[in-house]
Amino acid sequence: MSNADATVFIIDDDPAIRDSLALMIAQENISVMTFENAEAFLDACQPECLGCAIIDIRMPGMDGMQLQEELSKRNILLPIIFLTGHGDIPMSVRAIKAGAVDFLTKPVTREKLISAVRSAICESEKITTESIHHHDATSRLAALTDRERDVMMLAIQGYPNKEIARHLEISHRTVEIHKSKIMHKTGAINLLDLARLAHEGGLI
Amino acid sequence: MTNPLQGLNFQTLFDAVSDAMLLVDDTGHIVQANSAAYLLLGYAEAEIIGLAVEALMPQQYRDHHHHYREAFNKKPEKRSMGTGTGAALVALCRDGKEIEVDIGLSPMPSAEQPYTLVTFYVADQRRQAEEELRISEERLALAKQAAHLSVFDFDAHYNVLYWDDCLRALWGAEPDSVMNYQRIISAVHPNDREAFQAAFEHANSPAGNGEYSIECRVINPIDHTERWIAAAGHMHFKNEVANRLVGIAQDITEQKIIEKQLQKQRTEVEANFTQQVAAQTASAIAHELNQPLAAISAYSEVALHALENDSFDPNSLKRALEGSVKQAQRAGSSLHELLAFLQKGDVVRDKLNINDIVKEALIIAKSNGYGEFYPILQLEDNMPLVLGNRIQVLKILVNLLTNSVEAMHGVGMSTSTITITVRTNADINMAHVTVRDNGPGLDPETAKRIFEPFFTTKPTGIGMGLAISRALAEANGGQLWLEPGNKPNAMFHFALPFAV
Repeated sequence: MSNADATVFIIDDDPAIRDSLALMIAQENISVMTFENAEAFLDACQPECLGCAIIDIRMPGMDGMQLQEELSKRNILLPIIFLTGHGDIPMSVRAIKAGAVDFLTKPVTREKLISAVRSAICESEKITTESIHHHDATSRLAALTDRERDVMMLAIQGYPNKEIARHLEISHRTVEIHKSKIMHKTGAINLLDLARLAHEGGLI
Repeated sequence: MTNPLQGLNFQTLFDAVSDAMLLVDDTGHIVQANSAAYLLLGYAEAEIIGLAVEALMPQQYRDHHHHYREAFNKKPEKRSMGTGTGAALVALCRDGKEIEVDIGLSPMPSAEQPYTLVTFYVADQRRQAEEELRISEERLALAKQAAHLSVFDFDAHYNVLYWDDCLRALWGAEPDSVMNYQRIISAVHPNDREAFQAAFEHANSPAGNGEYSIECRVINPIDHTERWIAAAGHMHFKNEVANRLVGIAQDITEQKIIEKQLQKQRTEVEANFTQQVAAQTASAIAHELNQPLAAISAYSEVALHALENDSFDPNSLKRALEGSVKQAQRAGSSLHELLAFLQKGDVVRDKLNINDIVKEALIIAKSNGYGEFYPILQLEDNMPLVLGNRIQVLKILVNLLTNSVEAMHGVGMSTSTITITVRTNADINMAHVTVRDNGPGLDPETAKRIFEPFFTTKPTGIGMGLAISRALAEANGGQLWLEPGNKPNAMFHFALPFAV
């Protein structure tokens, strides 16, 4: 497991809950930071944070659901595990729909908490990787001209050059030139690689 | 041949006339009067003879009258008095009473001196009075009809003196058919008969105020329809003996339906609110306990994990165990604080008249929408005062009453009687109140658990009513228990200590 860089952020107004859960997570050799309210956490949190947030749903001041909304507004894609005193089903449904990865009822067992934390960290890593890829792909695709982009879109859908030429009302030769430029600019090694790049760049 | 009429003298003829007549001389003095005149004007013969006619009219007309009299004497003719003026004439009786009359004047020429025969006609007035009576009766009938009111009249021995046709129709009886108490009560809904009878007996009791009031259902024996009737009346006493019960009755079926809907809504709203309060309270308690429990659980698992693994870090272990202890203490003190909060304030106990409190509880139960029962009160007179918190004692009694009403409604009895007895219980030296309904009673399982918190047989109840009532009774030094045994008519006992 590559939890080395991941941090678990615990946001709960009850010091005993923060302390006991922090001890539990620290025993798994995962780094932990605790915050007594949402505002303190928002001050410390960065978009590139890796790990997950364990958030008490009911807190004085900004509550768990509002914190989730605020994180999403700030484009902080940290997976969230909500803690609740009693299984509040309508609230859990809302939280899950808004992207929470888990919803745990206090008292929570070690097994459940650690497993939720581990899958949240995996999720976070996936998000981070995707984000890096997306960033990479967008910058590589950014160099393409509009025409090259048109050619690329048809090419990755499997159209032969002849079809592309007819479709765009350009010559067969021009299509070939565009394609070679596309491969050069994006550094794609083949058509499949180009398709992956377009996917990561959010074009398809 | 002699004339058979010769034997009749003037006075005999005069007295035979049904209108009041006076014979007046030319100076305006009465010389003769007939029996009808004595009767109408209220004078004895000796008093009226020689009286000036002006004495028979109100003061304000007397001064002018001699002018009219002189005018008449100058030109005597048979005519009505006051012709042309259009005003009503008023005769003044001996007792000061004024009556409207028409007066006829007839000159009686005689050899010695002229007399005038004065005749009083009150026939028009009588007709008018009859007309007024007829209009008044018609008005009463229309008003009764408009208000859907019917009139009844009983004597004290349940004989029907009057029972109007609207009531006959409700009872499925033909107009003018003979009604008797047996026929009346047999159409009353079986569950309401006891109350119907009790209301009558209450009115009959010389100790009471004679008030009669009942709401009951009547089942038409012909078409079997059920109507709600409300009746109110008053027993009249003659020499402290019940004489006549006269009252009015009204069909209140529609009103009852609305009332029932309203009560249902109100009960639902109240039950909902009570549930909310209970849920919120439970939620607050749960939160107070759950937080430390969650921490203790996590600390303990941390400690366990530390022991099970080789990564034995004494500092973490110590921190986890200390945390556990602290959180367990926190849970305990939260509970104590909560209980102290819920029971804050000492109970203030006053000297109370338990009979008055019972009556007040009845009023509260009715105003809370639990009025559909007929209370039978059996109070002990001169009961010593009891010691208790007024509000709490009321709460217990109201709760017992509303429980009874709900239990009886629950089995489809919409009217019911609740018998409340207040007596001195010498065995325990307390005031002893029993509340008995005429419902089906409790099954053994329910009876066993009835005082348990959260035990309820009602679909919307939270099952705290009797648990709280018993706690309140005990807090007031009293007791609350259920009559043992599986039988109909649930009976609750509530005892309170006397104020010494």
